[in-house]
Amino acid sequence: MKWIFVLFLPLLLQAQTAPPAQNRFVGNQPCRTCHPDVLLNFYKNPHAQQQCEGCHGPAGEHVDAHGGKATIKAFSVLSPAPILEACLSCHSKDVPRANIRRSPHTEADVVCTNCHSIHKAATPRSLLAKPQTELCYSCHPAQRAQFEMPSKHRVNEGVVQCSDCHNPHGSSPSTSRMGSSSAALRPAFDNEEPCLKCHSDKRGPFVFEHPSVRVEGCEACHVPHGSTNAKLLTRPVVFTLCLECHNGAGTFGRQNTGVFQTPATHNLLDPKYQHCTLCHVRIHGSNADPNFLR
Amino acid sequence: MRLRANHSIPEVRARMRNRLLTRTARRKATAVHYKAIAARLGPSVIGFALLLFPVLALAQDTVAPTTGESTLPPRGENAGNYNVVQSWEFGYRFATVGGDDGKYRSDVNYGNGVRLLSSYLTVNSRNGQGRYFDDLSLTTQGLGNDPYQAVTFRIGKNRLYRYEALWRSNAYFNPGLTVAEGEHLENTTYQWQDHDLTLFPQDWFRLRAGYSRTVQNGPALTTEQEFDPLGGVFPLFRDTREEFNEYRVGADIVLKSFHLSVLHRWEYFKDDTTDNLNETEQEAGASGMTVLNGFTRAQPYRGNTPGWLVNLGANYKWIAVNGRFTWAGGRGDFVQNQTAFGVNAVGSAQNVQTIVTGNGDRPVISGDFNFTLFPSSRLSLTNNTSVSNTRMIGNNFYEQFDTATSAVQTLNFQFLGVLLITNSTDLRYRFSPKLDAFVGFRYSDRQIRSTENAAVPGGPFEGISAEQSNQVKAGVAGVSWTPIGNLRVHLETEIGRNSNPFTPISLRNYNVIRSRVEYRKRNYSLGGGYQESYNNNSILITAYSSHSRTYTANGSWTAKPWLSIDGSYSKLHLDTVGGITYFAGSATPTNGESIYISNIHAANLGLRFPLTSRADLYVGYNITKDTGDGRASSVLPTATPAGQLLYSVQTFPLTYQTPLVRFSVKLTSKIRYNIGYQYYGYHEEFGLLSVDQSYRAHTGYTSLLWSF
Repeated sequence: MKWIFVLFLPLLLQAQTAPPAQNRFVGNQPCRTCHPDVLLNFYKNPHAQQQCEGCHGPAGEHVDAHGGKATIKAFSVLSPAPILEACLSCHSKDVPRANIRRSPHTEADVVCTNCHSIHKAATPRSLLAKPQTELCYSCHPAQRAQFEMPSKHRVNEGVVQCSDCHNPHGSSPSTSRMGSSSAALRPAFDNEEPCLKCHSDKRGPFVFEHPSVRVEGCEACHVPHGSTNAKLLTRPVVFTLCLECHNGAGTFGRQNTGVFQTPATHNLLDPKYQHCTLCHVRIHGSNADPNFLR
Repeated sequence: MRLRANHSIPEVRARMRNRLLTRTARRKATAVHYKAIAARLGPSVIGFALLLFPVLALAQDTVAPTTGESTLPPRGENAGNYNVVQSWEFGYRFATVGGDDGKYRSDVNYGNGVRLLSSYLTVNSRNGQGRYFDDLSLTTQGLGNDPYQAVTFRIGKNRLYRYEALWRSNAYFNPGLTVAEGEHLENTTYQWQDHDLTLFPQDWFRLRAGYSRTVQNGPALTTEQEFDPLGGVFPLFRDTREEFNEYRVGADIVLKSFHLSVLHRWEYFKDDTTDNLNETEQEAGASGMTVLNGFTRAQPYRGNTPGWLVNLGANYKWIAVNGRFTWAGGRGDFVQNQTAFGVNAVGSAQNVQTIVTGNGDRPVISGDFNFTLFPSSRLSLTNNTSVSNTRMIGNNFYEQFDTATSAVQTLNFQFLGVLLITNSTDLRYRFSPKLDAFVGFRYSDRQIRSTENAAVPGGPFEGISAEQSNQVKAGVAGVSWTPIGNLRVHLETEIGRNSNPFTPISLRNYNVIRSRVEYRKRNYSLGGGYQESYNNNSILITAYSSHSRTYTANGSWTAKPWLSIDGSYSKLHLDTVGGITYFAGSATPTNGESIYISNIHAANLGLRFPLTSRADLYVGYNITKDTGDGRASSVLPTATPAGQLLYSVQTFPLTYQTPLVRFSVKLTSKIRYNIGYQYYGYHEEFGLLSVDQSYRAHTGYTSLLWSF
């Protein structure tokens, strides 16, 4: 019988230990005393309907201790995982955030407060800590360099935004190309490339699709952010771009016999044939002509 | 046991005193402090410090609208139960261009005129209980004929509704010189608008409705080759009229940890573009015989795509699951009616009328399911499976009436199907708060089926069917490490193999390395990165390969609210080689290599600082320089004409720089006067295919910014 007592001894000892003091909620008023700058304009914030303690937890101990980040849920010292969990407790129901746990940003420990500023947002929409382009450029300088090239999407000019094409919270898996495009890409509704959301004239369906457009995607020929080449092309001239695929070699193409090469009438030394899209004007797809001539 | 603060804080009254200093007093204090520092350091030290920062560039890339300098009061003005903050910037923008005006309009396109350069308005209820709305915001940019215009509007009432609207316009000019020797002089305007209404935005049940519209219209030029494949190519006037409309309705339901979203969408696209030529044109070139006396083409297209999206997800402490299904049934109907008359390549009069009718369908079904397991706080396992099936089916009836060949009738049928199945698994383990690593495996299986048929009416309709499949297997791995407090290192790599790529330039044997180092403190950050991507795709002629390497460095420093520097330097290297086959004046094809080498250096520098307590000066400099392969000339004297041609397009060195300066002075507590200048210099080292598009432009603006 005494052995049973020994087994339960730890439990008894624990029961005799005094329980930890329960923290308590104190409401918003004490917060105003020490954090007037935060609360000055906070009534304009969508989170104003939420009390401070809705995100920061009970503040009784924090008040008793006259402040300190150890006595309250201070997001500035939290590790990424609890920050994400705290925000997702309310913000997980939107489809654009459905894949946030597997997004490239989350996997790189870039979480909500790295981009959003709840207390001092620079933008009224989305409560971003900085204007969107500035925010994205701060970690993606190579993309900034691309948007400063002569031929580019007008991001710096303010008419296009990174989030038009990208979902920083993570997207559903891509089904264009080999499913290899970025998980931060924001596909069109039916899983097409995001380019087609604006360039709807390239979308079709066409009777004669340019197979590489449908299979390999726009990036087979274009650089999406910016390029030193006209029309965001990957090459400065069109004929090298076309001929690199249309060389008749290998087992490429829809019939496994290579992508057909140009006919002998196409004398490359004739300037007319150096500009393929001069005649093949419907290169993205045509309803009338299998060679995209009209 | 009661937790204790890590540090003591000063008494509340002292902190409040510090924070409640008037804005003017703070500004004066900081300016005096800045001048004291400048005096102590001396001009040489400051100059040296500025030299150290050429790689730390500033954010602004266009001189106007004015940003960063503002008299915007933090609290606005109260009106009844609402608080109102607003600012309006009116001004005049100017531009003078030398060199290739078409290329300037393609790249920059700022013109002359009076503009509402920007505006900002917010109205917020002070107690969160406004009668009709609790928050309203309106922003505009470039209204009054700037090429880049935008308006955002948002209004909402807590827990009841939220409406957001976005309107944008992008007017651009597209000379397309490298594509069509200057003949594609498109001048197109894109306009987008998006409207989204959400009812009960903060509740467990939400209703959503939306409307989007894209319009592309304006004059443009296109080209047409008549009357046979050897005939001349003529520029045509194009009246572009395209419209895309989308309507959507959906609902979200949240029940405990589950969230279900359903969205139904209807898309309509129509194209009423016409191409016309109303005057006689002679084929370019000395040997050109073809004459086009008249041309008209109408090609109305009507497309619609209904679609459904269903998303179901759940979040628990140990698992997060999400599944999605989409269906979209695209369909388009078209007619093309084209008439051309003139003289053909052999000097005979010819009239051709072509009529094409038909339709195309593209149903797309896709579904994906992913889950993430959290067996412990250190370990996570993510798996994703997706299936997508796209089928494109099209047919047309092609009928051509020709003075030379009488009539031609053809039936065409095309089918292209792409079935893609992907699966990926990632395992992530956090060894410590400072170190975590992941490994993953990706598998993709794609099947492509196609059928092509073409026949005359009544004839046998036997086409060519083909099928191919390919698989990609790739492995990924990475590590994130925080060796010291604010320093983070991220490294990841991917290596993959494609069994049967679709094109010679597709990924086949590839590897990617990405790395980034970052150091962040409260008021400054430094970062650097390296990324390389190699791909080798063997074909019979030669081996296609591409190598790209990107080096980046960036930093930001916010010394004071009025003194901040941030920016970046990047070097982007790309070299590719691919096998090509071409005909150059003979019936025998020639095998050769297409080489392209690009070395782009991009940097910017910017500095905003106060000249006096009322005046700010901003100077900035952006440069993009492609040094190409370092050659001194684009001419290779010993080469054949074809070899010379290929050599001349192997690289495209150029310099594009946009320095800017802006001066802003506070006239009153609510009004600032701004004046700015920006230079755009674009210089091609050798031109391209005998065309040089270099230009230089002087642009600027002057404005009044009124904030209250």
